[in-house]
Amino acid sequence: MNEQALSLKDLVKDFDGKRAVDNISFTVRRGDILGLLGPNGAGKTTTIRMVMNIIAPDAGHIEILGKNFSEKVKDRIGYLPEERGLYRKLQVMDTLLFMGELKGMKVAAIKERGRLLLKQFQLDGYEEKKVEELSKGMAQKLQFIITILHNPELLILDEPFSGLDPLNIELIKDIILSSKREGTTIIYSTHLMEYAEKTVDSLVMIDKGRKVLDGTLAEIKAEYGQKFVKIQYEGDARFVGALPYVKSWRDSGREMEVELADLSKREQLLRDLLEKVTVNGFLLSEPSLQNIFIRKVQEGERA
Amino acid sequence: MKKIFAVIKKEYKAIVKKKSFIIMTILTPVLMGGMMFVPVLLMKVGRTEKKIAVADFAGGYYQALTAKPTTRQEPGKPGFDLEGSMRKPRESEVAGLISFRPVKLNGRDAAAVVREYEQKVLKKEIDGLLLIPADVKSGRQVSYYATSISDFATNSFIASTLRTVISQQLLLEKQIDPAVVLEATRDVLVDTFKVKKEGTTKSSSGMDYIMSLFMMIILFGVLIGYGQMIMRGVLEEKSSRISELLISSAKSTHLFYGKVLGIGLAGLTQVALWILLSIILVSRFSGAVDASILSFLTPEIGLYFVVFFILGFFIYAIPYAIVGAAVNTDQEAQQFSTAIVWMMLIPYFIGFSATQNPNTTLALVASLIPIFSPILMFMRITASTPPLWQIVTSIALCSLTIWGLAWLGAKIFRVGMLMYGKKPTLGEILRWVRYK
Repeated sequence: MNEQALSLKDLVKDFDGKRAVDNISFTVRRGDILGLLGPNGAGKTTTIRMVMNIIAPDAGHIEILGKNFSEKVKDRIGYLPEERGLYRKLQVMDTLLFMGELKGMKVAAIKERGRLLLKQFQLDGYEEKKVEELSKGMAQKLQFIITILHNPELLILDEPFSGLDPLNIELIKDIILSSKREGTTIIYSTHLMEYAEKTVDSLVMIDKGRKVLDGTLAEIKAEYGQKFVKIQYEGDARFVGALPYVKSWRDSGREMEVELADLSKREQLLRDLLEKVTVNGFLLSEPSLQNIFIRKVQEGERA
Repeated sequence: MKKIFAVIKKEYKAIVKKKSFIIMTILTPVLMGGMMFVPVLLMKVGRTEKKIAVADFAGGYYQALTAKPTTRQEPGKPGFDLEGSMRKPRESEVAGLISFRPVKLNGRDAAAVVREYEQKVLKKEIDGLLLIPADVKSGRQVSYYATSISDFATNSFIASTLRTVISQQLLLEKQIDPAVVLEATRDVLVDTFKVKKEGTTKSSSGMDYIMSLFMMIILFGVLIGYGQMIMRGVLEEKSSRISELLISSAKSTHLFYGKVLGIGLAGLTQVALWILLSIILVSRFSGAVDASILSFLTPEIGLYFVVFFILGFFIYAIPYAIVGAAVNTDQEAQQFSTAIVWMMLIPYFIGFSATQNPNTTLALVASLIPIFSPILMFMRITASTPPLWQIVTSIALCSLTIWGLAWLGAKIFRVGMLMYGKKPTLGEILRWVRYK
């Protein structure tokens, strides 16, 4: 079996002369959770739509579950689009039946798994209700049930957390993790990096259509993690930016995050600080994905 | 292929389970039946007795008005009243419901009588005053005063009765026997027989014309109704953002054909139920239905109705589906669908003349144009029996057009379904067709 669930190579897409996706390549290992991170408008949804063969790339190649995209492969993928919707007049169970059959499932199998999932999402008893009678949160749950109804090998979720309340976010996170335990490969996009941080195995960061970073979470944290120091202080600390061993720094006034060129310089930094300002706290820290992202984007702009 | 059936099933069930579908299915034949019987019933029930005062300055006419209209109903209508012959049955009904009473003149002039009776009319003591002047024979003018003067049946009853009386008086003065004139001017009736392959049947040409139009209106209504249903269905998928989910699950062509076929089958079900219900209604009340309706509704006509319904359905449904996929809002859809309705109105208007002259060049050529055929060729079939080659040609041309439309529609559907936001231009839509 192919190791890769998904592989993108040099993907390009232009819209009206504007480049929405610019030479993006990455791979996703089977069984992994990959986070596709980036701010709004970075090109996440366009990339996903190309993966789902909804729009055609202008250049590049996509291999999904070891093959080129085909009608048959659709049945093995669970896709949650960014733009969501259901037939308002259709009953809940009828919705599941229709969507399940579109994924090539048998009626009996749909009913069995459908009931199980409805129960799991606390929607049991709503089988006969029309979709328009459901609350917004319930409809979102139903949408998610449809995505995983056919036990897909690959889940592609575009902004799965957007518009959800905290309870449902937890629920979706649980489902993502339990799907992973069953061997499902999951790709999801989000602009909320703090969620990604807690679940993904690997990640791809994109900005303005370009990939700025990818790798496993462990690799990325290892690369950045050990060189960061968080300092709480009082006084004028602007001199820090000019210190030769400081690679980058972000000052928030009473707290700053400093990236050192070399971790061994941390004591030097502390000494230099103590001369000029009052230090209230000094802590080696792991950078947040948010900070890594901002740093990468700034680097890219400088280059 | 299994997925196309899933779509057909879903679309079919969604329509057939609707309350409006069930209501329309039952109500339409009942209403249609009603349209045939109710006017006659209303005519009988809705009339109240009228009291009309007659101021007869000429003398002798009051008696003529109150005489029982016995001789007037003989077959072979009297020539005195040629133009009135269509109204005869109505007038006879009217006659029984009008009671005339004489006005005592006592040497008063017309103006005084009118003044007095204006008050009585306003107080509703009587319904009207009929003033017959002394020179009615030469002047041929009478006056009728009433609060309601729109009762044509009453007016024409008065006019034709007076005319008959005057004519008879004139003939007698010239010493001609009115019976001779009556006989000499008797009308000629034309019995119409429709020659068909299955045999010749006696049928009334008026009824054929009416039935022909009637079937066309049903066809027209159903095609528009189901076309718009498809349009709204596609638009709903677009506006509720289901389309992306659908396209990530099945082929867009399957979604498109499944939708059109599913809704088409629902339409066919409705038509079939209508035919079935009509048969039940007709067999139940066959006594009350004109025999020429029964001779018109042959199994052959029924078969052609179904064939041309199916052809017409696809020819109009696919453009409707394309509109639904191409636009974003109901208002935009309405604009386009109005254009489609206009397109359908063309054969409808040609159809009015085609039922009377089904074999003119215009009717022949127009009935072979695929977008007109479903309505026009069907009309020509009901009105006469066009040569088989013409029917076959029109069916073949329609099928070809449908094939082309389906190809085009699937392409536009694929792209249009995922285009949100701005209204596409025609050029953009044509570009969609070339997308792979």
